[in-house]
Amino acid sequence: MSKVIVSVVGHDRPGIIAAVSRVLFLNGCNIEDVSQSILQTEFAGVFIASLPKSLSARELSRRLCEELDPMGLSVLLRQMESTGVWEPPPSEPFVITTMGPDRPGLVAGITELLAGFGVNISNLKAVFRGGDDPHENTMIYEVDIPVAVDQNSFREALYKRGGELDLDVSLQHREIFEAIHRV
Amino acid sequence: MLTNKEVLSTLEMLKNEHLDVRTITLGISLLDCASDEPARFIEKASSKIGAVARNLVKVCDEVSVRYGIPIVNKRIAVSPIAVAACSCGPAQMVEVARALDRAAKGVGIDFIGGFSALVEKGFTSGDLALIEAIPEALAETEHVCSSINVASTRAGINMDAVYLMGKTIRKAAELTKDRDGIGCAKLCVFANIPEDIPFMAGAFLGVGEPDTVINVGVSGPGVVKKALDRAREANPGLDLGQISEIIKHTAFKVTKVGELIGRRVADGLGVPFGVVDLSLAPTPNVGDSVGEIFQSLGLGSIGVPGTTAALALINDAVKKGGAFASSYVGGLSGAFIPVSEDLNIAESARRGFLSLEKLEAMTSVCSVGLDMVALAGDTSAETLAAIIADEMAIGVINKKTTAARLIPVPGKKAGDKAQFGGLLGEATIIPVSGTDCSAGFISLGGRIPAPIHSLNN
Repeated sequence: MSKVIVSVVGHDRPGIIAAVSRVLFLNGCNIEDVSQSILQTEFAGVFIASLPKSLSARELSRRLCEELDPMGLSVLLRQMESTGVWEPPPSEPFVITTMGPDRPGLVAGITELLAGFGVNISNLKAVFRGGDDPHENTMIYEVDIPVAVDQNSFREALYKRGGELDLDVSLQHREIFEAIHRV
Repeated sequence: MLTNKEVLSTLEMLKNEHLDVRTITLGISLLDCASDEPARFIEKASSKIGAVARNLVKVCDEVSVRYGIPIVNKRIAVSPIAVAACSCGPAQMVEVARALDRAAKGVGIDFIGGFSALVEKGFTSGDLALIEAIPEALAETEHVCSSINVASTRAGINMDAVYLMGKTIRKAAELTKDRDGIGCAKLCVFANIPEDIPFMAGAFLGVGEPDTVINVGVSGPGVVKKALDRAREANPGLDLGQISEIIKHTAFKVTKVGELIGRRVADGLGVPFGVVDLSLAPTPNVGDSVGEIFQSLGLGSIGVPGTTAALALINDAVKKGGAFASSYVGGLSGAFIPVSEDLNIAESARRGFLSLEKLEAMTSVCSVGLDMVALAGDTSAETLAAIIADEMAIGVINKKTTAARLIPVPGKKAGDKAQFGGLLGEATIIPVSGTDCSAGFISLGGRIPAPIHSLNN
């Protein structure tokens, strides 16, 4: 069986996942994994599905577009290859937060630094509340820092970049958040 | 995946509510340094402290940075010196104190506790030598703290010891009269002293404790106060039962911080983890006050009618929340009411809301005692002893820990201010009703027997 990864984007409302999963089911596909996000007014969903031998990825893509385009939804389908997959090195989970006035380049600036150290982002959320209080604009990066990375250098570089971007930055091991809030 | 609330509320607690680990205290047994030659004891003890605590500050700093939680104080508690150095005479005990002071400086910590004795049933020669050395030891050292246990529910109250401590406190004040009697700020008299308190001045490493151990003192009165304010703003109809739940939940969170940090420091040092002392311990910083919690509960000020009831609620809720959060809870574990270390409590005392009598009543429901209470410089040893005796009685009869840290400020009287500086803060001298009326009782001496309910075998 071949596997594909399907992403669906469009205005959020009831019925999107129902529409996608219906097409997959009617075409003999099995949904192995699914995740969704809602950002402002927009829905984004990602599905990993296995296809029956009789169905090509190209054909599935055509059938999905046929069904979802009239609903105003965009679909992107890719074959999931098992080669070329990135193998994460041993890492530790940390949480980086940035707080400061919103302006272009904040995410680019921080993520460029993370990439430079080989730090992978496992989850990213923006808490933008607008308004005049810069503390209302918070980005939360859950990251995996490889154990081979020198903590002190990373921390120093991160704070320096934060300073350049006029951001208040914090870097803490994930354990402390779990310890405080979970039994 | 963490929720926004989990991340943001943690940051809020750290940035604006003074969430921190108040102290990591490394207990070091000096019993294996015992010698009948005082110089040998000093040499072995200094060497052991230097070796065991070499990395204490470094490991604490690393753990603190890793988790983003400040560890405000790193401290050491040693075996009660009256036991470990029992062959010393008073002059040699002062030498021991100086050695402890040097050892503390050498490893970069601010306080070393354990210049202590346990005399609830009577004195050994080592106990008497240590007590005699206390005034000079505390005057000549910066970092050494002393605690004397004069009473227990099992043994009763050693009134000879109580009287002796009254005299010792006066001497300690006299020898530090140029600094408002600060020697007394490093001296606590206890009933039912726990053997694993991480806080000063009571910290010492009990005889039943392991060779080395890490005990953690958490804090967070600011976190509790803010949690209460938020909850009451969102829901003005909250009753005391629901308020108790909020304090309990907040105490849980604060204690979990201490548990995690303490365990990681213990791992980093290769030392066993002991207990979390989940006390609400204030500092003179704004927003880090226990007194303010009372105002959040609707009392005009700490000390007014309703205070003892409120404190009972707070102390109990803190214990319940904290006990669930930690595998091993110990030390004092409750709410501290230090008169000088808490800006709000100091102000209430200054304005006359917090009398000695009210403080004494409050100690029956909280976890510490008469803490950092500044008194007139001419308060007699007999009156000091009588105040201590009252405090000991509350502890002994109620099977709880109580203590007295009294500071008769030389040359000052009720209403004057005493300045201790730093974490010790400043205090207004509180009046005592009926000075010089207790000498007859105190001079009777002997031991007040243990209460009947201590016979629980």
